[in-house]
Amino acid sequence: MATNKRTGAGKSGGRDSSILAKIANHEIANKGRRAACDAVYVSKKLLRSTGKAAWIVGTSFLILVVPLLIQAERDQMLGEIELQQASILGPPPPGALQ
Amino acid sequence: MADLLPPLGTAQTDGKTKVDEKVDYSNLPCPVPYEELHREAIMSLKADNFEGLRFDFSKGLNQKFSLSHSVMMGPTEVPSQSPDTTIKIPTAHYEFGANYFDPKLMLIGRLMTDGRLNARVKADLTDRLVLKANGQLTNEPHMSHAMFNFDYMGSDYRAQLQLGNSALIGATYIQSVTPRLSLGGEVFWAGVPRKSGIGYAARYDTDKMVATAQVASTGTIAMNYVQKISDKVSLATDFAYNYLSRDVVASVGYDYILRQSRVRGKIDSNGVASALLEERLSMGLNFLLSAELDHKKKDYKFGFGLTVG
Repeated sequence: MATNKRTGAGKSGGRDSSILAKIANHEIANKGRRAACDAVYVSKKLLRSTGKAAWIVGTSFLILVVPLLIQAERDQMLGEIELQQASILGPPPPGALQ
Repeated sequence: MADLLPPLGTAQTDGKTKVDEKVDYSNLPCPVPYEELHREAIMSLKADNFEGLRFDFSKGLNQKFSLSHSVMMGPTEVPSQSPDTTIKIPTAHYEFGANYFDPKLMLIGRLMTDGRLNARVKADLTDRLVLKANGQLTNEPHMSHAMFNFDYMGSDYRAQLQLGNSALIGATYIQSVTPRLSLGGEVFWAGVPRKSGIGYAARYDTDKMVATAQVASTGTIAMNYVQKISDKVSLATDFAYNYLSRDVVASVGYDYILRQSRVRGKIDSNGVASALLEERLSMGLNFLLSAELDHKKKDYKFGFGLTVG
């Protein structure tokens, strides 16, 4: 194959277009084109499925985990406030409302 | 059966708990009612997700008597021919309810604007026999039904007889076999579609976990397991298989009971993720948010509501 190309390069001049056409229509070039098409196709599919998976995981996370974190954080802050109040006010008298 | 009580009077504390575990078979606890066998799993996993607005107001007039008003607005699903599309029709209705609570008698009535009347009665006839009745009257012909249940509670067993209109007869029985394990069975016969069925159930509970299993001749096999991780958190999982229609569903959920709020979430093997948040804004005022995402059918439902009283 390489020797063909070199002899083809030797015949320059008016046969440039046909040489270029020969190279462009060569077996390897076709294979390379097909491989590039396949790579683009596969990468598009991969991107799409990754995008779908990310959407599903993201929205489910938003529904299942985010309210829980918010509520747990509020509960913890409430606990801290109660602790602060208990330390400021001291222990409650025996008849106090809890 | 001989009482296996500890022979030594001077046992240490952990010796005592070990010895307490020697089972006293003549003194088993009363089991959970048959239809509430899987109640912990239902509380976590079958939270009532709704779509649209929901507003409930209940006011007590008396110590025993209370009225309730509730408004629900939102789309309701109509079963459609093709399984892909879901048809939703926006509806709105108002429901008026009256409740009477007594230690021995409980009466609940609900009347909706679409003409449905729902009534429930629970009466303690004697110390051990309870009558429950449930009736629903509708405008459409042949859609009204009534059901009567007689529950007898024995020392370590429960038996229930169920009679419904259109010739429905059912009976369930559940017995405690050890302090933690209870086994039960049910039989029913329906007159209109001439079908009869039999089912068995088992429940094993400790104070940290509950596991139940149910098999029925209608084709369902259901197992669920609830683990209580702390007094605020519990996780539940459920597996249901119908061997006649070959449907399988497995789901995993959590239930967090915090001081001011309660969050329940669940994810399903049908690709459904759902969550319900109930928050206590102030005394007697609860705010509800519900969300359900069905990734397979691309059907998303969100609802919010307020409960007063």
